[in-house]
Amino acid sequence: MGQALLRVHGLAKGFRSGSEQIPVLADLALTLNQGESMALMGRSGSGKSTLLNLLCGLEHPDAGVIDIDGQHFDGSQAHDRRAQSRCWADLRRQRIGVVFQDANLMPAMSLLDNVRLRARLAGQDDLGCLAWLERLGIGALADRFPDQVSGGQRQRAALAMVFAMQPALILADEPTGSLDRHTADDVADELFRLQAEHGCALILATHDAELAARCGQRLDLAHLSCSAAPSPSSMSSTSPAPADRSQ
Amino acid sequence: MTLFAALFSHYRRHPLQLLALAIMIVVATMLWTGVSHLTHQARASFGQSEQAVAERRQVVRSDGQSVAVADFVTLRRAGVCVMPWLEVQRPDAQGRVVGVDGLAASCFAGAGEAAQAWNQPLNGKPFLDIRDAAALTTGPDDRSAELTLLVAEQVTEAALPEGYRLSRFSLGPDTGELGESFLLNLDALGVLVLLITALLLRSVYQLGLAQRRDSFALLHRFGVPPVSVNRLLVLEMALLAGLCVIPGVALGRLLAGLLGSGFGQALDNLFDAPLYAGQEASWLSSVLTMMAVVMVVCLIDLIRPVSRAPVMLLAGQRQSLALAALLLGLALAMVASSLVPVFIAVALVFVGAGLLAPILMSGLAQRLARAAPDPLKRWHFAEFGVLARRLALPLVALQFALAMVLAVQALVTVFEATFDEWLSQRLAADFFVEVPAGADSGPGVDWLAAQPVLAASGDWQRVVRGEAELMMADAASHSETGPGQRVDLLAVAPVGRLLTQWRLQAAADQPWQAFARGEGIMINEQLARRQELAVGETLNLTVADETLSLPVLAIYPDYGRPAGEVLLNAGLLPAAFQPGFESLSINPGDLDMATVVSGLQRVWQVETVTVRNNERIRELADTVFDQTFLLTRAMTVLTLILAAAALLIMGWVFFSTRVWYYRLLAVWGLRDREVAGQMVRLAVSLTIGIAVLALPLGIWLTWVLVHRINPLAFGWSLPMAVYPEFWVELIGLSLLIGLSIAALMRRQLQQPATIPASAGSLSGGDR
Ligand SMILES: Nc1ncnc2c1ncn2[C@@H]1O[C@H](COP(=O)(O)OP(=O)(O)OP(=O)(O)O)[C@@H](O)[C@H]1O
Ligand SMILES: [Mg+2]
Repeated sequence: MGQALLRVHGLAKGFRSGSEQIPVLADLALTLNQGESMALMGRSGSGKSTLLNLLCGLEHPDAGVIDIDGQHFDGSQAHDRRAQSRCWADLRRQRIGVVFQDANLMPAMSLLDNVRLRARLAGQDDLGCLAWLERLGIGALADRFPDQVSGGQRQRAALAMVFAMQPALILADEPTGSLDRHTADDVADELFRLQAEHGCALILATHDAELAARCGQRLDLAHLSCSAAPSPSSMSSTSPAPADRSQ
Repeated sequence: MTLFAALFSHYRRHPLQLLALAIMIVVATMLWTGVSHLTHQARASFGQSEQAVAERRQVVRSDGQSVAVADFVTLRRAGVCVMPWLEVQRPDAQGRVVGVDGLAASCFAGAGEAAQAWNQPLNGKPFLDIRDAAALTTGPDDRSAELTLLVAEQVTEAALPEGYRLSRFSLGPDTGELGESFLLNLDALGVLVLLITALLLRSVYQLGLAQRRDSFALLHRFGVPPVSVNRLLVLEMALLAGLCVIPGVALGRLLAGLLGSGFGQALDNLFDAPLYAGQEASWLSSVLTMMAVVMVVCLIDLIRPVSRAPVMLLAGQRQSLALAALLLGLALAMVASSLVPVFIAVALVFVGAGLLAPILMSGLAQRLARAAPDPLKRWHFAEFGVLARRLALPLVALQFALAMVLAVQALVTVFEATFDEWLSQRLAADFFVEVPAGADSGPGVDWLAAQPVLAASGDWQRVVRGEAELMMADAASHSETGPGQRVDLLAVAPVGRLLTQWRLQAAADQPWQAFARGEGIMINEQLARRQELAVGETLNLTVADETLSLPVLAIYPDYGRPAGEVLLNAGLLPAAFQPGFESLSINPGDLDMATVVSGLQRVWQVETVTVRNNERIRELADTVFDQTFLLTRAMTVLTLILAAAALLIMGWVFFSTRVWYYRLLAVWGLRDREVAGQMVRLAVSLTIGIAVLALPLGIWLTWVLVHRINPLAFGWSLPMAVYPEFWVELIGLSLLIGLSIAALMRRQLQQPATIPASAGSLSGGDR
């Protein structure tokens, strides 16, 4: 039995829409030990991505406490947000690897350079980077650019990036969401294999029950969530082109 | 129509993109209108300044009394075309102003320019309406006010009523080709601004297309042929242009007015249409020009798909083509012997430089990226390369604008200095006294020479103008003994400080001493160029019935004088010489000018002598030229501001497609301040990079204007000067533009972003 890497309680988060506050997460608690994995389930708009963002400090909770990797964050302490942001940034840099559904790589750099950049930022030696790509079966593509490889190969490269940083925790937001069944299974296999090998913890947001079943714990946000039926905006929130963001 | 709705729905979902597009069209239109409006104003102001110094004729009373309003009435009743010209000293040493009557000038119509110059707004710099000038006088017998009645060129002495005669009225010599040259340069810069405008519009159009490729792809999948999509796009662009061009024109005029004159005047210019003629015409021409440019920008894209294969060149081919254009242009500019090839050379160099600049920047970035050991530096360079390629058009527009500003600054400063020298050469003495017709200058000269106070504290010289004939001494090259070349003759004596302060372009040892001893002559630049004469060559000069054989001691600049001129010591003039015009230039020093005038009147035994006050002329001329240069500078500032604004808008739109990737840096643990630092570094290196590339282009453009176009068009050259402090200012300005872009980027980073649908270039995933 590992020691608790992550302990969360009383976590709450809502978003302001016009004048009203729309709650997304309320009084959420979870515990994850080193090397363990957890699946976040729930329908679209239930707050999976929001929770992952909270767990890596990209968003600030309205309330609640997060203890992670020996650091303590109190959501009610809004006054030292600045200091908290810096702590979170350092954690993300060295301890927490994040994988999104797609677009995890800088488009202007080769796959290998992407892995190197991520490893360097985490304070790791970049000599082993090619080896990571090889372990994920895309060593031959190391010098290709993200737009020159398939979606599955891009996700493999993204996995190479997070593992190259030797993280304590991996947060994966539907990492296979944009892949076909077969490729998705391959990528998921790699993810679980490497996670087990390296003993890092994993939180995986997914709609896929099969994938969720492979995780040690499951947290269904649909049961906890206080949000109503998904609004049109949440339906589309994972798919629109980034140009849409300009509005 | 449903197809149109489908196309337009993109903008319903992304109103800010439509706004950016509209703003860019407005900005580009504003630029073109503003600049052409300023050029127009500069031209008008120049016309006025030329009028101020041009020689004309006036009507004076035969009894020597000064003219008054009653004389004006008498003359007009007699059907003589006269225009009142009232010079007034403004209180508190604010300088002199000239009141002119534009209405009275209308009978000058046959005289062309003379009347047109007063058809422009009179803003007190230094011209104003005669009513306002009259209001400045203290009364009918205000000594500081001076009324002159100018008369049209075609009026003869016989047409005048009893008691009046014609007389020369001159505030100073004609600017001649110096003015023409300035206007030609102004026109050349106008063309450049149109090019910059076209680049900005083109970047808008491409931006619009790039953002909607996915919608087009969808329509295509639904079976809509690309041709009808294109047709609708043109229609849409025409609609948008129609909506944006008119406010753009209005804003451009307002801005030009603001820069060129006071705010009040700007509003007048905008709304008070009857103020000056041609107002509606210039509105219409601005609108039509811009519509045409917009349509051409669109149509080029429509024609392209048909001939895609030949147009689409490989990157390497394009690079060598651009390089070839650049080198060809540079070479052509050096060797061309007429104006048209020089203009073609300028076009080639700009095309080459414009194509090469982004390639150069991204190529360099790629090389640096490969060499950088630190992956973050590598990312920086790689990203820089993407930005340089994606923002190529607005970047090149900014590069051109910077180069143009640089050239204009150098040119205007050079012109300013040249006008200054030109004025001081011609207006060296404080006063000119005309030797009255029929009188001999001799007694006057003797009288001046006998004044000890003048000798101790002042300067004077006798100036004689006439004609001479020139023959080369070494007859070898001119063996066919035809009639020699007619040249203007300028004879001066005694040789004093009024003369020796002239700037010389080339000179022998101690030229003025030799000249004073009568051991040589000097020639103007025009003559030296035309006859390929150098210092030290001996010329045979036939003056009246004598032939003088003298060496060339020096070559003096004489901007804008189309004729060749020889400067001779007046002591060498043969007795038979008939002067065309003779005057005495006098700096009275401690002597009172009134004493000088009465002394001369006594020895010449005349009641009045014509005295020209050069100080006064200088003051007026300086004011008008200053106004012209101010307008020209305003034009360049406008170009720069709007090019910067365009880059800002484009940078912002492009950045909004890429914000997810910049956010990745934060996800990977860079602190907010570090991410912001990366943004600043990217944006600033982009704008500074383009500014550095603009420097050689600007210096080259200055060189071409000064050393190629001007001599080819007019036969004389301006001095070339560079102003490194101004370069520093421009680089500073580029830094500012970069910082503003970074600030905009940072704002966007603070808003939430979602994952791009794909890593393709549609969603900002370019590399
Ligand atoms: N920045 C934001 N501003 C306002 N509302 C937001 C914001 N981010 C998320 N929301 C809302 O919060 C709710 C939860 O969103 P979240 O993205 O966490 O859902 P999700 O479970 O990840 O959904 P999906 O399965 O579609 O990815 C949604 O209703 C969404 O509209
Ligand atoms: Mg989500």
